[in-house]
Amino acid sequence: MTHRAYTYLDHAATTPPRREVVEAMTACMEDDYGNPSSAHGPGRRARRRLEEARSGVARALNAEASAVIFVRGGTEGDNLAVLGWARRQAAAGITPKIVTTSVEHPAVREAAGRVAAEGGVHVVIPVDPEAGLDLDALDAALAEGSALVSCMWVNNEVGITLPVTQAAQRARAAGSVCHTDAVQAVGKVPVLLDEVPVDLLTVTGHKIYGPRGTGALIARDPGDLSPIHWGGGQERGLRPGTEDVAGAVGLATALTLAVAEQALESERLQAIRDGVAARLKAWDPGVRVNGEALPRAPHILSLGIPEADADTLLATLDLAGFAASGGSACASGSAGPASSVQALYGTSDELTTLRLSFGRATQADDVERIAQGVAAACERVRSLAVA
Amino acid sequence: MTDRRRILVAMSGGVDSSVAAALLVEAGHEVIGVTMKTFCYDEHQGPGKTCCGLDGIMDAKAVAEVLGIPHYVFDVEEEFTRDVIDDFVAEYGRGRTPNPCVRCNSNTKFRDLLRRGKALGCDGIASGHYVRIRRSSGGIPHLLRGRDPAKDQSYFLWGLPPSMLEVLHFPLGELTKPEVRDRARSLELKTADKAESQEICFVPTGRYRDFLEKKLLPTHPALSPGPIVDLSGTVLGHHGGYADFTVGQRKGLGGGFPEALYVLEILPDTRTVVVGPLDRLSAVGAEVDGLNWLAEPPSEGEEILVQIRYRSAPVPSIVENAASGSSVAIRFPTGARAVTPGQSAVFLRGDRVLGGGRIRRSRLREPAAGRLTTTT
Repeated sequence: MTHRAYTYLDHAATTPPRREVVEAMTACMEDDYGNPSSAHGPGRRARRRLEEARSGVARALNAEASAVIFVRGGTEGDNLAVLGWARRQAAAGITPKIVTTSVEHPAVREAAGRVAAEGGVHVVIPVDPEAGLDLDALDAALAEGSALVSCMWVNNEVGITLPVTQAAQRARAAGSVCHTDAVQAVGKVPVLLDEVPVDLLTVTGHKIYGPRGTGALIARDPGDLSPIHWGGGQERGLRPGTEDVAGAVGLATALTLAVAEQALESERLQAIRDGVAARLKAWDPGVRVNGEALPRAPHILSLGIPEADADTLLATLDLAGFAASGGSACASGSAGPASSVQALYGTSDELTTLRLSFGRATQADDVERIAQGVAAACERVRSLAVA
Repeated sequence: MTDRRRILVAMSGGVDSSVAAALLVEAGHEVIGVTMKTFCYDEHQGPGKTCCGLDGIMDAKAVAEVLGIPHYVFDVEEEFTRDVIDDFVAEYGRGRTPNPCVRCNSNTKFRDLLRRGKALGCDGIASGHYVRIRRSSGGIPHLLRGRDPAKDQSYFLWGLPPSMLEVLHFPLGELTKPEVRDRARSLELKTADKAESQEICFVPTGRYRDFLEKKLLPTHPALSPGPIVDLSGTVLGHHGGYADFTVGQRKGLGGGFPEALYVLEILPDTRTVVVGPLDRLSAVGAEVDGLNWLAEPPSEGEEILVQIRYRSAPVPSIVENAASGSSVAIRFPTGARAVTPGQSAVFLRGDRVLGGGRIRRSRLREPAAGRLTTTT
């Protein structure tokens, strides 16, 4: 199994670290092993690397270095934004209110649920497959006192881009703050903090050919947040624990390259995505491209496929050498329902979700082969008698 | 090898199915491992606990990786709930003691494996059950009990569609459990010393009552108080719901009686649990319905063996009516202990499994007090 040649179509799940990242991290681990808090040469050297990485992340996003809080992944960044903001409010005697969209990642959705369980309020704004985010409902939610709006930039399951700029402007006008989970956005669409008035933004390394377990929360005003971990003063006390210097270097390297290559890479991926989609729709006009009426990031193609069992389809694709995914992968590896697809199309939607996500490993001349492989697998699965 | 097949093997994450997969790989087959996700426990569980039998799934994945075979998880929760859990709850509600594993193997697991196996281009289905398939001289596949009588699991497989015998492989049928563990150890499989699962998968705690309370109304008769009576009808005490009892059970009746008492019958209409001494637990016959035949059915008057509980020795039986219809009556010339409505009766000719059904009624050794002669 290990040596099977795969066509990797799951870049939204994770990406292979690129050579530049591996080299930068290896050098850092070998040469800059000190603890950045130590008062000696190796410590100072590690501190310098860490702060260079912080500046690198800030530069890539047109943010201030002082706003960059290194965390250990996207989930941690989202949790710190939502729970950290809510607990700061609660500490000031204010009932925290979190406003999210209906298509957030569980890292935001369940953190908001946690806020509600701790006595706060969680309001969900619907997203319509034709009309997009319901901005009127957002305004209504914001009219009732200050809140944290969490609006993801690019949805991980469907690939739709949400109107983060508008959400952030409305939040700001209403005296509220805005967080965005930009984990799937960086490197795929322009993410520039001097142009978009969000207050908090999450990125992670492993979706952009960087290291797993790395990420950053960009916070315009870190004073808005309470810590959610305890035990040290690192990262302004908001992420205590000895810093992962090599991870920070890897993240900065990956982010810098992803942003530099974004325009060309996005154009390339969009052509691949649309090529595969067009061929599959020609194969079966019953295939739905999820979120097609809305603006979408170029790397994710979410399909609604009629009459195909999700688990069997993914197994068939795997045996044919295609690594794809269904809905949100449950830890078991069974294809759970895609919660964002359900949010858009309802829970009684009959179509099976198949997510193909493209990246550096995908080449333009793969389009035909991918489309044929998917169509063949679907036909095979459909041919089995349904009990 | 000449007979290389692509075989889908059901892997639960236990030692038996791990070794079954390993033996198929050793035999040169192209093997694909699957774990059926039948039930999600997460409504009862918080952080740190496993969901979906997750530990089993992870063990199966780890073994598959060591064996160099692909592994997939198939979600059959919906079918499993409909075909197995709903039936389990309904049977307890009727005062019977169901075999959910029989239901699962008959209705859910193997049918689903076959269906998906076809899509994956498989020509065989395998599991780690201790049973054997042997072909007659005419090439007809027969289902035989496992070689190791202590582990034989044919009791769970009588409900298979007979046409499935053609594609089934049971690599453990000739082995004993210690031999299977030895193979697992020599292959350094992480499941080699894993404990045997004792409980049914969707009630891992073994507390059926708690499970039924989530599924039935609190006012359901099975969960409501009723009398405990002896064979003469004298009320000896009260119980908190007949779902807590099964025929042959001794615990839970309260003490203080001059002789040990056992549950003889459950009468759901009056919520009555009938108890009596051990020697009255023996049945002289039973009526079996829901029949499924894997071979030519036995004829009227034929002497066969019938297994009436998992791990109990088959008892000599005589078929009282031709098993042509939907039910069959059998007689136990030497008696059969704790014949329990809801359990399976598996018909055997020697080691060969002829088929089976569900015990509908038992006939006790002696009529007790008229109305108490049968349990339904």
